[in-house]
Amino acid sequence: MDRIRVLIAKPGLDGHDRGALVISQALRDAGMEVIYTGLRQSPEQIVRAAVQEDVDVIGLSSLSGAHNVLFPAVVKQLKEEEAEDILVIGGGVIPVYDIARLEEAGVEKIFTPGTPTGLIASYIEESVKARRGEETRLFQKPRGVDHIGIAVTSIDEAASFYRSHFQLDIQDVVEVPEQGVRVAFLPLGSVTLELLEPLGKDSPVQKFIDKKGPGLHHLAIAVEDLQDRLTQMKRSGVQLIDEEPKTGAQGHPIAFLHPKSTHGSLLELVERKDESADGHV
Amino acid sequence: MEDYKEAYAAWQQEVKDQLKKRPERKDTFRTGSRLDVERAYFPGKIDNAYIEKLGFPGQYPYTRGIRSTMYRGQLWTMRQYAGFGSAKETNERFRYLLDQGQTGLSVAFDLPTQIGYDSDDAMSMGEVGKVGVAIDSLEDMELLFDQISLGDVSTSMTINAPAAVLLAMYIAVAEKQGVEPEKIRGTIQNDILKEYIARGTYIYPPKPSMKLITDIFEFCSREAPAFNTISISGYHIREAGSTAVQELAFTLANAAAYVEAAMEAGLDVDEFAPRLAFFFNGHNDFFEETAKFRAARRMWAKMMRERFGAKKEKSEQLRFHTQVAGSTLTAQQPENNVVRVALQAMAAVLGGTQSLHTNAKDEALSLPTEDSARIALRTQQIIAHETGVTNTIDPLGGSYFIEELTDRLEEEAFRYIERIDDLGGAVQAVESQYMQREIHRAAYDAQKRLEKEEDIVVGVNKFQAGEEQAPDLMAVDDAFVKEQLHRLKTLRERRDNEKVEAVLEELKAAAENGENMMDVIVKAVKVYATVGEICHTLRNVFGEYTS
Repeated sequence: MDRIRVLIAKPGLDGHDRGALVISQALRDAGMEVIYTGLRQSPEQIVRAAVQEDVDVIGLSSLSGAHNVLFPAVVKQLKEEEAEDILVIGGGVIPVYDIARLEEAGVEKIFTPGTPTGLIASYIEESVKARRGEETRLFQKPRGVDHIGIAVTSIDEAASFYRSHFQLDIQDVVEVPEQGVRVAFLPLGSVTLELLEPLGKDSPVQKFIDKKGPGLHHLAIAVEDLQDRLTQMKRSGVQLIDEEPKTGAQGHPIAFLHPKSTHGSLLELVERKDESADGHV
Repeated sequence: MEDYKEAYAAWQQEVKDQLKKRPERKDTFRTGSRLDVERAYFPGKIDNAYIEKLGFPGQYPYTRGIRSTMYRGQLWTMRQYAGFGSAKETNERFRYLLDQGQTGLSVAFDLPTQIGYDSDDAMSMGEVGKVGVAIDSLEDMELLFDQISLGDVSTSMTINAPAAVLLAMYIAVAEKQGVEPEKIRGTIQNDILKEYIARGTYIYPPKPSMKLITDIFEFCSREAPAFNTISISGYHIREAGSTAVQELAFTLANAAAYVEAAMEAGLDVDEFAPRLAFFFNGHNDFFEETAKFRAARRMWAKMMRERFGAKKEKSEQLRFHTQVAGSTLTAQQPENNVVRVALQAMAAVLGGTQSLHTNAKDEALSLPTEDSARIALRTQQIIAHETGVTNTIDPLGGSYFIEELTDRLEEEAFRYIERIDDLGGAVQAVESQYMQREIHRAAYDAQKRLEKEEDIVVGVNKFQAGEEQAPDLMAVDDAFVKEQLHRLKTLRERRDNEKVEAVLEELKAAAENGENMMDVIVKAVKVYATVGEICHTLRNVFGEYTS
């Protein structure tokens, strides 16, 4: 990806540029190209510079209280120049009650004093990546839960519990040696329970049991467009266990997301195209 | 006879003279347990080294203070910076503050006024009345000081590039009130070098700006001798992110440049130097700040005596205003700012400040409300009247730590000043962006320390509260802008425009011929020429500075 280009600008007559200079430096250190306009720029001058320099982002800084007039003026000027694809963000001494008003006027985000520079840099990165990547794709909501994985020490023992108390029968048992696991499928309404029994000591499921004991292991969500979803998630910083889809126990493309990014749960995505989520093949 | 005995006798004599003029605030000063507190305390054995480094209060090198009785005689001036919206609204805030026991006025001007634009200029869009009061013509200035007698108050005006114009207006208002120019007291900031370095309200390039400043020096020594002609400011340098050492060094280097410019213009150092004032920042590091003020006095005394050959004591005495550090206020948990302000103000008082502005807790969010402005003023009144720190002079003097810090700050700052002298002086160092770069580096280092949590700011990178309560904030009503524009329009129709044009021509000629511009500017404001018109006339002659 090309380096992100940012124009840091001081609209109006305000002369306080400590913040503008510090942000410029921090964004440079984060690997971006930064152009600083210097003081006393009119909205026209700022937009002209932004277009000429072909920037992705304009960062406006004002500590004089003129933000309500000047920030929207920059947004308006960008529209006139048909350069609305440039992201506009702002910062400075901006009272809370003005923030909503500015965001309504088209300023994407206002950062108030005390915001860590790293946060601003990652916000810019995410937003620009999303804007560049053919725009962020809006996906359909997932179809539902595909299955729930439960780690067990013995399929036979676990299955007898589900059979005697819930009248659930094993539909099928599959061995997946490359993942070190034997899987039993127990259909339960629209969802399937997957009982996962480790094959040998090095099996990831065995490691899970050693660490946490048997029990809920993962949740699998049925989606369409698995590959595109993975690409977009990766771009927005979600940590993936499988960056490319692989074939799951039932023969569908699947991928796991890292619990670090999912607030602790191991999530699996299963691609289910043109079939109802409850039908098994 | 040994020096220290002479010095001691001299101090005793001065105290005696001073007490005749103004008795101390109390006959005896006591602690809470009713123990007597002496005027000042000294080492067990006073020797010549003590005299050289510290001296007695009010004696060279003034490390312990510039007055023989300091706050026992008179407290510092409590001077809160205020101004917003229209002259009429600001006048009301001024009269409120005076009623609350404030002892001096301090005017904040809006940015168009500070950069020499009228309210109706395209460049003024969105800025009119925002960070201070909008002043276009003498008419506004008359409203600003309505019912405030300029013979009785001292007024500090934060105005730099157009300082000559606002001073001229002040003089004109005083005359209308029947107060002679020699009676007016106050300060104009008039420190253009720090504008290029840190604050940004410059208009003209450095050389003609320096000429305007020396014109003011000359004019005031002749016409308004009680007015401080400049307030050489480290405040904004520090706010821009400098260290305490840089604040000291760059401020005194700038001061040296003004002194040199005035001497080159043929003024006698002892004529103008007594009217030079300083303005420092009161920051967080308590002991370093106290030491900084003490070091500043000693450094300035040495510079004036040794480098510029000043003879008068008043030329050697560094008088300063302190404002506590706005940049240390946090938008998070704004109530905590009251505590920060109190501690910073305490350091300034222990450092011997002549006047003080304590910030309002909500200044990181917006302009102060009347409530928060009052708490800010009360904070310094508590320090003055309740803590007992005003009962003896330089109470921290003699602390091993404070004295060592004072020495180190002086040493480091003098090293910087030498470097600036090597670069050709402050004007050249400003033009080559030397100081700007040094400050930026320090500011960025501080930001990184904060983000790595090497430095802790309560409520920002540690001890964050949960949900923030939305504080009650001061909003400037924009309706007055329309009124301001309307008044300006009718003024332009009503005044004698031929006279205005003639005097602006005269000003242009004075600027081109290198004459003193101040006398003509006084004439111009009296016929109601506007700030913008006067500054545009000079812009056309001098050009504009761009960084």
